[in-house]
Amino acid sequence: MKKKVKIVAGITWAFVCLILIIILFPGLNSFSASTAKLPFMKINPNYTGGEVANQIVAESCTLDIRKPVFDGLFKERKNGFVQLDWRGNLPGKIVDSIDFDHDKKIDFCIFIDRKQLKTTIDQFNKNVKNIIISTPTSYGWSVRVGLRK
Amino acid sequence: MTDSFILGLSSGSACLVTCGMVMFPYLMAGSAGVKRIAIDLSLFLFTRFVIYFILATMAWYFGQAIFSNPLVRNFVPGILYIVFAVMLVWYSISNSRNPKCPAEIVKTVNDKRLVPIFLGVVNSLGFCPALFIILTKGATQGTLLQSYLAFLAFFVGSSLWFLPLPLAGQIQKKEVLKTVGILATGLAGIIFMIKGLTNLIGGIING
Amino acid sequence: MDNTLLSSSLNKSFGKSLLYTLPMFLITFMFMTGGRLNFSDPYSLLATLIAFLLVNILYFMMHYSGKTDRYRVVLFIIFAMSLSFTLIKNMIAIRSSMSFSQADVLECKIPFCHLVIPMMIIPAAFTKSIIFPGSILNGFANISSMVVLWLVATIVLGRGFCSWGCFYGGWDDGFSRIRKRPVIKHINEISRWMPFAVLFMVALTAALTLVPTYCDWICPFKTVTEFEQVTSLESASKAAIFISLFGGLVVVLPILTRKRTQCSFLCPLGAINSLSNKVTPFTVKVDREVCNECFKCVEVCPLYALSREDIRAGKVSIFCSKCGKCVDACTKNAIHYGIKGVPAGHLKNFSRNLFLFVSFLFLAIFSAGAIISSFQSLLKLVF
Ligand code: SF4
Ligand code: SF4
Repeated sequence: MKKKVKIVAGITWAFVCLILIIILFPGLNSFSASTAKLPFMKINPNYTGGEVANQIVAESCTLDIRKPVFDGLFKERKNGFVQLDWRGNLPGKIVDSIDFDHDKKIDFCIFIDRKQLKTTIDQFNKNVKNIIISTPTSYGWSVRVGLRK
Repeated sequence: MTDSFILGLSSGSACLVTCGMVMFPYLMAGSAGVKRIAIDLSLFLFTRFVIYFILATMAWYFGQAIFSNPLVRNFVPGILYIVFAVMLVWYSISNSRNPKCPAEIVKTVNDKRLVPIFLGVVNSLGFCPALFIILTKGATQGTLLQSYLAFLAFFVGSSLWFLPLPLAGQIQKKEVLKTVGILATGLAGIIFMIKGLTNLIGGIING
Repeated sequence: MDNTLLSSSLNKSFGKSLLYTLPMFLITFMFMTGGRLNFSDPYSLLATLIAFLLVNILYFMMHYSGKTDRYRVVLFIIFAMSLSFTLIKNMIAIRSSMSFSQADVLECKIPFCHLVIPMMIIPAAFTKSIIFPGSILNGFANISSMVVLWLVATIVLGRGFCSWGCFYGGWDDGFSRIRKRPVIKHINEISRWMPFAVLFMVALTAALTLVPTYCDWICPFKTVTEFEQVTSLESASKAAIFISLFGGLVVVLPILTRKRTQCSFLCPLGAINSLSNKVTPFTVKVDREVCNECFKCVEVCPLYALSREDIRAGKVSIFCSKCGKCVDACTKNAIHYGIKGVPAGHLKNFSRNLFLFVSFLFLAIFSAGAIISSFQSLLKLVF
């Protein structure tokens, strides 16, 4: 009897799998859309650069200053970064003063020479470290500046 | 700290299955319930912690003396990492690996209450390549605190495996766990080999 | 009983094989053409027709000849090569190079592949996010669809994914067939567990650093897909590591051992897939009553999934990818596809037919896009 139940269960499971495979491809878009809604289906801020905290609009371009990212597995890490994104029609040389922690004090000044691919910063906040990334992007230019807590 | 934790965690798994099975009967022998087991295990872990604390201090002080010469500082740690990492990898792939755990000596201890302490000493001083690597790391840290942190991470990583020791009797597939642990130790060795090479190349560039 | 008779017991007559191929014919036609043929682009039409015929002829031959692996591997290798070809072609068209830049990472434009999955589980649980610079739902190889495809395939096929779904496996499977006889015959038994050790280490390091360490440092298939631009000592070391691993584990060792050494000793996803062999209904069974212990199956298994002890104990190990090579090699038909719960030696044909339909359908449809696209490019190149 037990043996028969096992056989029936095995074959039933095999047929369920057959159906799963048959509906997998036609249903892929809707399955993926549902999966994308799961709470963990978003890209970690260490990759996206974090949420935009402040946007500075100039004549031909905008600067997005993102929230500093310190995300670790369980808690915030000692070292992190702040990402800056310039979008739009950018000048050849970019000079901006950044207050990323909204304390009304300049934390660092950044100088980008887009032609020479050269970026430098002047730090006024002891928690600002160095430039991690400075690169042209499809929308303009992005920089990540290292921070410590 | 991350690499010390990983080293502890990977070598700890193999250590648990090789040595844990020897320790288990002694730690549990005559124990009357969970409380006794918890006390024995805490004593064992505490002893390991103390030994690592002493080792971290000694490693750092010796390191200060030995590595004060910039030439030595640029080359020796990298070479030591590579040598110990090769030993670790060899340990994981070698067929003639000695399966005996130093904790076997515990059979010579008569007073059962001292067993957890004795085991803690033997286990933390059971000189394996992983410990050599962590000693090198401790010796090359900038401050004593950093050396403590490296040892602490190693201690936490390796101790995690001992927490479920009371359940060891029920662990099926001990062989699989042991094999995977030993192989993971070898991989940790490779990570440190790369670290050693990077140190050495950095040393050559700086030197 | 006569060996030839037994060995041919899985094959079918021409008509019966055609009948068995009919459902595959209809379903693949629907998927490959979308229900109607596009006559406006002759290259695309021709490429689709060639791919469609190829798939169905291979499936027909599996039934007609009773051999599985012999025809599976053709599509499997073509899939691996086509995918790499299509990916590289797209990348060169978009970026004029096979390497991706820092900007691609910042903009989360990196195509996702299933090998990332073992590293994203712990961070997903604790940080409620994915540690990969890809797109969740949009664009080519987005994270959601790849996760769904892998998850369903793994539940249904178990480690069968590694012989019927993975677009990397075809590389070492292909190289493992170049020599007739192996030069290296024995390996240390414990190495079979290496993927679990790799899984442990990469899952741990990825969780602690929130970086998909396997992709970043190890994955040998970056050689045939895409890789980080070499701009520093670190990126140069990474390149040296993945290129040597590709050369060693995907090319040289498979040629010398006739085994899929990358899949046997390195891939962390292979380890997870092995565990999922416990869930899938399909399996490979050993009929002890007919087995004469010739151990041909042990010799040919490309994944070190069979040992003499396994055969004596009448079971295959969790490493089995259901490739069918052992089934093809067994002259007694003692090792065969089976369904869990059904005792070994029973319903051999039924189990094989059902498994073949499920697994081949997955492979055919999953591979169709890449194969059609690369055939189309080749046609354009030739004419
Ligand atoms: S072991 Fe890994 S690379 Fe090989 S087929 Fe399986 S998933 Fe693909
Ligand atoms: S046991 Fe057979 S089916 Fe499984 S991987 Fe080995 S050869 Fe392939």
